[in-house]
Amino acid sequence: MQGSSEGIKKGDSSELLSALPFIVTASHELKAPLALVRQLALSLQAGTAGETEQIARQIVLTSERALRLTTDLSRSSRLDDGLFELEPLNPQQICEEVAHELMPLYTARGREIRVASRYRPMLAVANRDLLRRIMMNFADNALHYAADDLPVEIRAATRAGGEKIRLTVRDYGPAVPVDMWQRLQANIGTGAQTMHARPQSSGLGLYVAGQFAQAMHGRIGATRHRDGATFYVDIGASTQLSLL
Amino acid sequence: MTTQPYVLIVEDDDWMAGQHMRTLQAAGIRSDHAGHALAAIDAIDTTIPDVLVLDVMLAGPNAFTLLHELRSHADLSKIPVILCTASADQLPLEHVAAYGVRRVLDKTTMLPGDLVAAVKKAVL
Repeated sequence: MQGSSEGIKKGDSSELLSALPFIVTASHELKAPLALVRQLALSLQAGTAGETEQIARQIVLTSERALRLTTDLSRSSRLDDGLFELEPLNPQQICEEVAHELMPLYTARGREIRVASRYRPMLAVANRDLLRRIMMNFADNALHYAADDLPVEIRAATRAGGEKIRLTVRDYGPAVPVDMWQRLQANIGTGAQTMHARPQSSGLGLYVAGQFAQAMHGRIGATRHRDGATFYVDIGASTQLSLL
Repeated sequence: MTTQPYVLIVEDDDWMAGQHMRTLQAAGIRSDHAGHALAAIDAIDTTIPDVLVLDVMLAGPNAFTLLHELRSHADLSKIPVILCTASADQLPLEHVAAYGVRRVLDKTTMLPGDLVAAVKKAVL
């Protein structure tokens, strides 16, 4: 992994320096959930919180979010091992699994997540775990920018005449300013940089998602809308269905 | 000030905002919440707060866009601002005081009492 601290030897200052931006961004990324957990725990400790059960639930869900990030970070550091097997899988099922797993967090935040229905079968070539993690990352990011009354939508569709599968996460919220969007587009998947327009899930999550996509010979991207954004991952389609 | 101060919290994390509101409420301070800068401008148009508690990295336009907007209106430019951020170490008070910022609170180290004390000091 670029910028990883793994394998840094004592005294190897050049590798350490190259890892610093990544470490700084990773630290920043973990700050937000940890600060929230701390504040909520202080509230419980002081006994000022009337809704003890609700706050305890918020602590659990926020901790799980931080843990997902640390798992993604350690997973991305092992991408070079090449142990990620690609297999034919149903992308629609991945979308449904992601929505199902994030449903408690969305519900607790008063938001809605849904999967667009799909009638024609699709088969993608991907690593199930990596693809799930990419989509979890996008959907987790979208959670914080979705308007209260509009759902986040996950969708899988074929592209390029059936050669590619695109999985998307669409959110509706305040538009990202153009200059920040241009910065995002320049950095997407190429570097771990904080994306100030979407601070809850900085560029680090996108960076990791980009690394995961590359490991599957895919790519990630984003589309800016007047009322939100779409983040997507393109992966190869399997030809197995056409053989049936 | 004899009446309860009214605080507008601009914070894109609902749960963090809820935490601030509980803390202020326990101290007898009224507060409301805006999830981003545009919602904050709408809320300020309706009721001018006595204090603004402002997160820095917001979705969409960030805190400084909002502060520039407030500075450009005579009646809003005097609203005391408390920045409440996880990046406090990069925002020394002397660098942001010109925006009407009275205090920079570090979300990672602050105690609930710090927010109450900062609000009370700002409205004195």
